[in-house]
This record gives sequence, C-alpha cells and structure tokens, in this order.
Amino acid sequence: MNNPMLANDRNALILLQDVSKTYRKGQESVRALDGIDLAVAEKGMVAIAGPSGSGKSSLLHIIGAMDRPTNGEVIVAGQPLNALPEAGLTSFRRETVGFVFQSFNLIPNLSALENVMLPMEFNGVPSEQRHRRAKELLDRVDLGARLTHRPRELSGGEMQRVAIARALANNPRLVLADEPTGNLDSKTGQMIYELLKEIARERTVIVVTHAEALAQMADRILHIRDGKLEADSQPLEANSTFIGEPRRVDHV
Amino acid sequence: MTMMRLGLRNLFRNKSRLVIVALLIGIPFFLLLVMQVIGDSVQRQTELLKQNVNNTLQLRARGSMGHVNMMGNEDLLPQDALEQVRQVEHVARVEPYVLAMTPTEGHNFAMVVGVNPGDTKRLESHGEAGNPKIIAGRDLTEADRGKRVAIIGQGYAKWAGITPENLEQATLTLDLKRTHPVIFALNRPPAPVKVVGIYASGYVFGDMQLFMSLDTFREIYGIPAGISWLYVKADSSEHLPQIEQKLRDLLGNVADIIAPTNVAEFQNTATTAVLRLSKGGIVLSAALMIITVFFVMLLVVRERAWEIGTFKALGASNSGIVLGFLTEAVALSALGALLGTLVFSVWGGPVVQRAFGVGVAPFLPAEYKDTLINALTLSSDIGPPTLGLLALVCILAAFAGSAWSIRQVVRLSPMEAIRHE
Repeated sequence: MNNPMLANDRNALILLQDVSKTYRKGQESVRALDGIDLAVAEKGMVAIAGPSGSGKSSLLHIIGAMDRPTNGEVIVAGQPLNALPEAGLTSFRRETVGFVFQSFNLIPNLSALENVMLPMEFNGVPSEQRHRRAKELLDRVDLGARLTHRPRELSGGEMQRVAIARALANNPRLVLADEPTGNLDSKTGQMIYELLKEIARERTVIVVTHAEALAQMADRILHIRDGKLEADSQPLEANSTFIGEPRRVDHV
Repeated sequence: MTMMRLGLRNLFRNKSRLVIVALLIGIPFFLLLVMQVIGDSVQRQTELLKQNVNNTLQLRARGSMGHVNMMGNEDLLPQDALEQVRQVEHVARVEPYVLAMTPTEGHNFAMVVGVNPGDTKRLESHGEAGNPKIIAGRDLTEADRGKRVAIIGQGYAKWAGITPENLEQATLTLDLKRTHPVIFALNRPPAPVKVVGIYASGYVFGDMQLFMSLDTFREIYGIPAGISWLYVKADSSEHLPQIEQKLRDLLGNVADIIAPTNVAEFQNTATTAVLRLSKGGIVLSAALMIITVFFVMLLVVRERAWEIGTFKALGASNSGIVLGFLTEAVALSALGALLGTLVFSVWGGPVVQRAFGVGVAPFLPAEYKDTLINALTLSSDIGPPTLGLLALVCILAAFAGSAWSIRQVVRLSPMEAIRHE
C-alpha cells in the first residue's frame, strides 16, 4: 500500500486506492471511475453526491462488491475485494453489507417479514432466530403491524422501510443506499433519510444521491464528477435539514 | 431449502399463466402416455409371440427323413448331438424323436413315434401342430418309460379296430417284418403294445400315428442310439438366428437344420415398425415438453432478472438460486405431467385405440395389420414402469428445458438489481 493517505487509515472500514472502472459500450470505452483514493471510517453517514452519470453509483457498487474495479485496490472491513473469488464476494455481501435500493427491490410474493428474513436465510440463521430478529427490525421501523403484508399492499415509504430493515438483517458493518429516496415524495424521503442517519450511529452508511440538499444531512460528503473525487467535505451545517425540521427516529 | 421453497411459491405467482403452461406441458405428456401404451402393448404382444409362436428348429440326419425302416432314409443323427445341442446358449428345450413307419393297407402306412413322456407330440408333415387332444383314455406319463404302452391317433385306431369303448382291452401288435414300397423289414419279433389313449389331431395323416416312450421304441425296434428328429426350442424367437448359426457350426456336416422364418419376419416388420413409431412419438413429446419449459423459463428469467440480482446482492449463492429455478421447472413439468396423466386416465383408452388405428396401423405391412390390431390389448392403465418413465421425462424435460435459463441465471450480475431502477 504505497498511498500515504491509505497507510494512515489502516483502521478505516473502507479503503480505496487508485480505483478505476471502465465500461465498454460496443467499441467505445466509458471511464466511470478514474483513480479514486478514499478512506471511510467505521460508523457515520457518508453521502456520495454528484450529477447523473458522474460515477457515484459505480463507486457504491465497487465498495459493495457488486462490481469489480478495472484497476486499483479495494479493501472493505479488512478484506481485499480484488483477491476474492466470486463465492467470496457473495459471502462478503451477505455478511458485511446491507443494500437499500431506489426501487426497494422487495420480492413481490413474499411478505414484509419474509423479505426481511431472506438475507438471514441465505446466512444460515436458524428459523426461530431469524423470525424473531425480522420482527424486531420491522417493529423498529414502525411496521410491526404490517408483518404479513405483501409489497403491493404497502406504500412507497413503508416498502423502503422494509428494505432498510432487510438491509440490517445480518447486522452488517456497512449499509449502502443507492438513491434511497428517489422514488419517494419529499416528506417520506426525509423520514427515510433520518432513519438512515439514525442507523449510521452504530454502523457506516453510505448514501448515493444527486440532490445536494440530501447530501447535506450526512457527516461527510464526497463529490464525484466525471469519475473523479472532486471534493471531500463536511456538510455546511452540522445539523442541516432536508426539508423542514429533522425528525428524530428514536426507536431505531 | 429456502430457494427450493421460493421456487415452489414462484410457481403460483401468475395463476393464469400456470394453467396455460401446465396445459402446454400436459398435452405432450398425454401424447407420450399414448405412445408409451402402444409401445408397451406391442412389446408385450411381441414377447408373447417370441416365446409361444414357432420358435423351434428341427434337426435331421443330413439327407434323410430319419425313419428307421424307410428305404434310403434310415440315417439317424448321432446320439451325442443331443448333449451338444443342450449346451448351446439360449436353447430352452430339446426334444428327441425316433420314428418308424408301419404299413396299414394298400400303399398307406402309419407312423410310430418314440418320444419322452411330457414332450410335445408333433405330427408328421405338420410339425408346427403339437399336443393333439386325448379323446379317450389317457396320455403317456413318466411311469410309461420302457413299458409297452402307447397312445394312438383316431385314424390309426379305427384301422386297428380300437374304440373308446374297448380301449381297456386294446392291444396293437407291431409287425416289424411287414414291408411296403418304401418300408423295409426289420428282423425283430412282433411287439404287442397296450393302447392306453386315443387322440385327435385335426389332420388326417396326423391321426395315423402311434406315440410311445422313447425307451420302449428303442427296445422294440432295436435302436439303442441315434435320433430321427431333434426339436430345439429357443428361449425367444429373437435368438433363433444365433442358435441356428451355432447348430450349423456344431452339426452342419451331419444334420439338416430347418428353421422357421415367419417370427423373425414378423419381428422385423410389424413389431419394429410400431416400436419405432412409438419411440419416435415419445421422443417428439419429450422434445415438445423441453421446448415449452425452455421458453417459459427463459421468460421467467428475463422477467425476474432484477430479483435474481437482488438475491445475489443480498448474498444468495449461485447454487441456491439455480436450485430455486430448477425446483420451479421440475414442479412445472410435474404439474403438466399430472394434468396429462389425469386426462389420460379419463380419455386415454379411446384415444390410444384411435391413435393406434389412425397413427400407427397405416405404417404396418398389410398382412400383419389386422392380426396385430385384433390381438393387441390396449389399456389406459398406468403401471409402475410408466410412472417411472413419467418421472424421468419430467425431470429430464425440466433440466434440459431450463439449462439455457440456468446459464443466464449464473451469468447475471448482482448489478441486475440496480437495473430494475
């Protein structure tokens, strides 16, 4: 590890050194990420902001082991992801990362409870234990009364809360949220952000957003433009708001 | 287990599609059952024919009729031929005959035959007709070996004045010194034989015979060894050519070998044609099922690409996801099979008859068509072998039909979860 910044951050949860990602579109090469160096500490909320097509989602996917970099080194939770085979990446995702998607990605023929139990089933958690934990998680996101509801019976905000509960199922050290409020109205979006911020007290939450106002709610903002880390800053105000006053979600 | 359970639940996500797909898979299954029943019935019939129709070869001393007192035809097969033939593979039974002729009146004559009690009593000139019916008295038994007892054909009995009424006291004396234009005298004493039964054969000349035990014949005619005719029964007609060849190798220099050809001909024409057609039908049905499963699973994978991506993002293994899809494919095939089987159990019988008459019979040689159709027992019963075949085809169709989709599933990236957005 030659980069002095990374050498100083051996205790960081996420370390990226000179990470690049190039996609091929027919004969053309598209450079989505270009020499990213990054260290993210354990716990706290980091926003990756930037315009559409800037490479923020690509960065999130590489951190979450959903994609491999073309160049560079990625170490997350002490695991060098470049060296892991496909099966290793699968278990890494299962044990270390929780994903929250813009379109919620709940399995339509499973109930809210079953959706939350799913990652635990993949992780071999015994039935009784996963049932209990899924119930607890849904209680914590205020959906204790919606356990048996299918996704189509839930509102957008409720679906995203189920998705957040699912992301926490295996108690991951890292939660990655890709435009989690993209399909929600502003009020619900604010609530989801507050929920994520609350979660970030005990683990690292990285949120991708193209909305600067949302990014201002994070503890740290990474600005990406044309695949390059343009700025790494603190929010303008320590407790900046999304829209209106922040609501504390004490039960998370 | 999780993914298997999910696979089964996925089956019921779109109920109307499920019904259509089950029908699409059920129809070829139904056709498969029809073809299987036809194939089975023909196979059963053939096996029966192979064991029961004329699958017997006849051996005689080379260039001789093998009658011990017939001019120029008195050569016999060597006695050791019997043991040699018994050693040949697929020989089910060997029946030695010793024969003599005895004059009756004018130019006519009767036949005296020595056989082992219990062996088939074949009729001169009608070797294929065996075991004539006893109409009075009794048949020869093991206890008659070496004893001067015989059974007589009704024609010969009439000539000898033996009737069912006087059978208790009936004795026939064989005069071996009597001659005939083709019978020479043997210097042996007259041999009185007690007649214990009268038979009817349905053939005029067949009724002019006298059967006694082989040992009794040898003692009366003074023939301690040698065989006039040796009947060799194959365990199945399909082994006839093989046995014939072996016998020619072993005894070709001393024996004439007469082999029936009608069974082999039947097998090579009618049976083979039907079995090929039914097997072709089964393969076609299986192919239809595979094609249906192929398109359904391809559609399912395309529709659920984002779900597969989500599973992968959440940490599901490839093998787990594949297991889920295979479970769904097998369950889908099984449902189609169940539907096809249910329809078959209701309408199978008439459809099989019609399918055989319309679909198979036209391909049969004209001379066998009616015989086979009349003899065939077509049943819509589904036995364990058919159930086994169904299960096998079910799994095969599911695996083969979903192979390409499974390949797609494995190649899908967890990024597919994002593309949903």
